[in-house]
Amino acid sequence: MTTSEKPGGKISAIVRACRLISRMNQANPEVPKSDALYYQMLANYYTRLLNAREEGKFIAAHTVFFPSEILYAMDIVPMHTETTTWMMALFLGEQAEILAAGAELGLAPEICSPHRGLAGAFALGALPRPDVMLWSNLICDNTAKSGELIMELNDCPGFFLDHPFQRSEAEEKYLISELEDMISFLEEKSGQKMDWDKLSEIVAGMDRQMELFREIGELRKAVPSPFHIRGFLQLLTTDYLCPGQPEATEYLQALRDELAEMVRQGKGAVSPERFRLMTLFVPPMYLMGFLEKMSQEYGAVSVVEPLFTRWAEGRLDPSKPLASVAKKASLIPERRSMYGPLGEEALKDITTCAEQYRVDGAVYWAFMGCRHTCATIRLFKDILNEIDVPMLVIDCDIVDPTINPQEEIREKLEQFFELLEDR
Amino acid sequence: MVGEHSVMPVTVPRLDKAELPTLERFREVNATFPKTAEVLAHKRQGGKVFGWLCTYVPEEIIHAAGALPVRITGYSQETELEDGNAYLYINNCSFSRSCLQMGLRGEYDFLDGVVAGSTCDGARRLFDLWHYYIKTPFHHVLTVPRKYTEKAHALYYQQVVQFKQHLEEFLGIQITDDELRHSIEVYNESRALLRSLYELRKQDTPPITGAETMEVLDASFRMPKELFNQWLNDLLDELEAQDRAHKARARLMVVGSVMNNPEFIRSIEAQGGLVVTDELCTSTRYWSDPVVLDGDKSPLEAISRRYLNNFPCARMVPSDGRFGRILELARDYRVDGVVSQIIRYCVTYAHDLPLLRDKLKAQGIPMLALDVEYGTSGSGQIQTRVQAFLEMLEARKKG
Ligand code: SF4
Ligand code: SF4
Repeated sequence: MTTSEKPGGKISAIVRACRLISRMNQANPEVPKSDALYYQMLANYYTRLLNAREEGKFIAAHTVFFPSEILYAMDIVPMHTETTTWMMALFLGEQAEILAAGAELGLAPEICSPHRGLAGAFALGALPRPDVMLWSNLICDNTAKSGELIMELNDCPGFFLDHPFQRSEAEEKYLISELEDMISFLEEKSGQKMDWDKLSEIVAGMDRQMELFREIGELRKAVPSPFHIRGFLQLLTTDYLCPGQPEATEYLQALRDELAEMVRQGKGAVSPERFRLMTLFVPPMYLMGFLEKMSQEYGAVSVVEPLFTRWAEGRLDPSKPLASVAKKASLIPERRSMYGPLGEEALKDITTCAEQYRVDGAVYWAFMGCRHTCATIRLFKDILNEIDVPMLVIDCDIVDPTINPQEEIREKLEQFFELLEDR
Repeated sequence: MVGEHSVMPVTVPRLDKAELPTLERFREVNATFPKTAEVLAHKRQGGKVFGWLCTYVPEEIIHAAGALPVRITGYSQETELEDGNAYLYINNCSFSRSCLQMGLRGEYDFLDGVVAGSTCDGARRLFDLWHYYIKTPFHHVLTVPRKYTEKAHALYYQQVVQFKQHLEEFLGIQITDDELRHSIEVYNESRALLRSLYELRKQDTPPITGAETMEVLDASFRMPKELFNQWLNDLLDELEAQDRAHKARARLMVVGSVMNNPEFIRSIEAQGGLVVTDELCTSTRYWSDPVVLDGDKSPLEAISRRYLNNFPCARMVPSDGRFGRILELARDYRVDGVVSQIIRYCVTYAHDLPLLRDKLKAQGIPMLALDVEYGTSGSGQIQTRVQAFLEMLEARKKG
């Protein structure tokens, strides 16, 4: 494997793209303020990463659903691995190069593409070298197995955070002890101490953000629904990248206010609103612009994503910061049906959502690298069928456009909209 | 690349029936599984049968409850998996799809319960869908930590205790320490006998092939252990009495995903490579570590410790535990090369592959990496690649 780029090459390209979009958004009075704030937040996140080495900061790469609140509290710069691959696909369109590099390492095509791409990007030397790798089994085998190769590629130490599969008191205790061990590991490797007051502050921020996520979810029940499809990914990445951070709160507040105003005025994200959709799993990142257009063209709006944007009820307690970080892992939307035994609660949630959000149809983005979510396709189809909500399944890859060409996706969606129209 | 024409003639024929009569009995069990005569007899006598889904499920507890544990496996040959595909989608491993299809088609309808561990995505989703669509009366999943720390052991022990309690409640019985001790003895005897069988494979010209060994292993989790132990003792006697000696072009080790089709190994051996050991959850990872009953440990603690510390699956962290055991086996069995067979979408093993290749390379052991489907018997393309691999190993030997 040859080193073809200067470290951080891809990151600086992401930063440039985000800054540009943010500036354009600011200059355009038509674009909501929240959009500019979001891109500014992304630009700041990646700028911190880009400058970390020079500023003598310690960098920790980590997998999805990792409690990066702890990293922020320790003044460690986080690098979210899956999201970074998404961003490379979204802003740079360079997935082919990094996926090829992943294949050259010997990673099978069945492995989740964000992980293959990330390993490839590291092998190419296109990302800043992390000082430590942190990974966990929340949420799948890909996250659980991705860390060791990244450690080897970067010649860095790592810590695996073992998330218990179910939710008993003993498991909660185990998770807290894992978090304690990880903090000790980070203190030892970085020479930096955990700032418990700062962690409490971040937990308070996270608690606030969870409330905002829930409020946004409630506003989306309105007919017409005020939320656009790209907002889904923005919500996701906000929690993935900046949990408990003031800039994330600012963005979510702005978004909440904008949505509330739209609801007050009876305005929808699309006009006229013809189809209210439930989105299951994540649509391909690189198709966001295309989906946005289709959404406008057909008056189809995603009103709810039960797997990703519906936070469970529960509050965090800043006076118990570590227990709260552990508790957050049980409240994240993905936890209900993507990790842990698939119980009645998770299934009920799908049908309840469909009813509460007055959904006309569901679209399941069957990401071929994500085995455990695809295993629920039939089950969700069956339970939605019982309440007369049809479901469309589209095979795809969230970063690799070669799996299912845009035209095929368009055709499938059009047929589905026709079917909904005929009902 | 070597063409089909250069595939060697079969050097390891299927044996003559009279040669090892006990092996024939094991074959009969496998041929009739899941509804074997032994399972049906157990049910007729009012016994309960529990299916287990992963080597992190402590079988001794089921056995101590007086029930018959059987391992849930899929079709032993490549099969169209229409139902499996429809329910688990095509991107879950063909092992889980194959098992589910058998379940959906009623082939496991005699089961009173299903027990799984939170081991990998494929297995856990198989369990979820089994629960939802097949509705076997008892179902239980154990959280299995991925680490070996004392805290992880404490959590797993708590899970084992919970499983025992759940089973007791379901069956309306109490499982005593003495019963657990007895089950440990029975299972350890089985492990010791399998070790004796494997010892024979260390010889220069082993009396048993890899394919035959797999037939024994398959039967080991498909019949009452007491009977299995008796039969395996008989087989060891028969092997001693015979004058069998298998020569090989190369001594091989098979590693990777779950596998229980002896035909796959037979197809490798038909080309002159002899599989002398293996690292599979249906082979060494299943039997190699005994439960150690010592001094002050309760039998349940001893069981719990053994199962979490057992020969690691690729799910465990760090992977060095697994890699170390593979290298140890390679050394002990003097293997010339390793054949990795990974079922498509079995990503735990797929992630390990680049790292394992490096470890083996550092020891001068070449590896052939095959993508397979569960139940494969070794297609033409696989045979061609095996053939080329064997030629490369021979050339290396000649130096
Ligand atoms: S997309 Fe699926 S397989 Fe990939 S990291 Fe996320 S949960 Fe895991
Ligand atoms: S370890 Fe691999 S083959 Fe076995 S159930 Fe899991 S994914 Fe399937």
